[in-house]
Amino acid sequence: MIHIERFVEGNVVVTAVRGRLDSSSSPKLDEFLAEAPAGGEVILLDFADLSYISSAGLRVVLKATKLARSSGATLAVCCLIPQVHEVFDVSGFSTLIPIHPSREAALATLA
Amino acid sequence: MADHELDICLANEIGKLETLAERLEAYVEAEAIPPTPAYRLQLAADEFFNNAVDYGYPDGRAGEIALRVRRAGNVLEAIFSDDGNAFDPFQAPAPDIAGSLEERRIGGLGVHLVRTLADSVAYRREDGRNVVTLTFSLAATPQGSAPES
Repeated sequence: MIHIERFVEGNVVVTAVRGRLDSSSSPKLDEFLAEAPAGGEVILLDFADLSYISSAGLRVVLKATKLARSSGATLAVCCLIPQVHEVFDVSGFSTLIPIHPSREAALATLA
Repeated sequence: MADHELDICLANEIGKLETLAERLEAYVEAEAIPPTPAYRLQLAADEFFNNAVDYGYPDGRAGEIALRVRRAGNVLEAIFSDDGNAFDPFQAPAPDIAGSLEERRIGGLGVHLVRTLADSVAYRREDGRNVVTLTFSLAATPQGSAPES
């Protein structure tokens, strides 16, 4: 089960994901993020209510990060629960993708 | 079945992933497994189930994937087995997790996560089945750090 919401805060497009990102739900986020962002756009994935991510979910995040980079946009994530943060660390994603502790902290840096 | 044990046997169909997740969720709740080892166990089950379904039965035959979990003191032991083609996941090369974004490919990431987050991993081929045994410590580990660090 997954619920995805998108809204705009200043120049930042926030995509909030609630639920689990596994092999059955990740294609929905993939579709949601499939459109190339405009150059200079900032995408923030708010994972405050993401309770679980597997390698299938990480693939989608990596793909979106590459798409953003190639479009001249920026992608960051925020609000990871400790277990999801651990998966980001162990996969080496923490060195590729900026991780902010809260949405406020992310917006203060990115906006 | 003794208390504190979970035995699941599923068809090799990706649609069964939800059943697996639900059964594990109920188990870790009933056993009051702390969030970090509970997450690591669920991730391992998810990655192994997906790998077995995706690669274990290339001829499309029906198969059977099993998971047994038991708690012994401060250790959670998980035994995955499947009757798919022989495959030792721990012989696969580790992914390059230090590369730049452009270099990064994702193959083998699931196995890498499991190998890193479990306290021990072992593979054997037994009676036509792949058998992977993992252990997870229930002792407190610092938040957000792998047990080996």
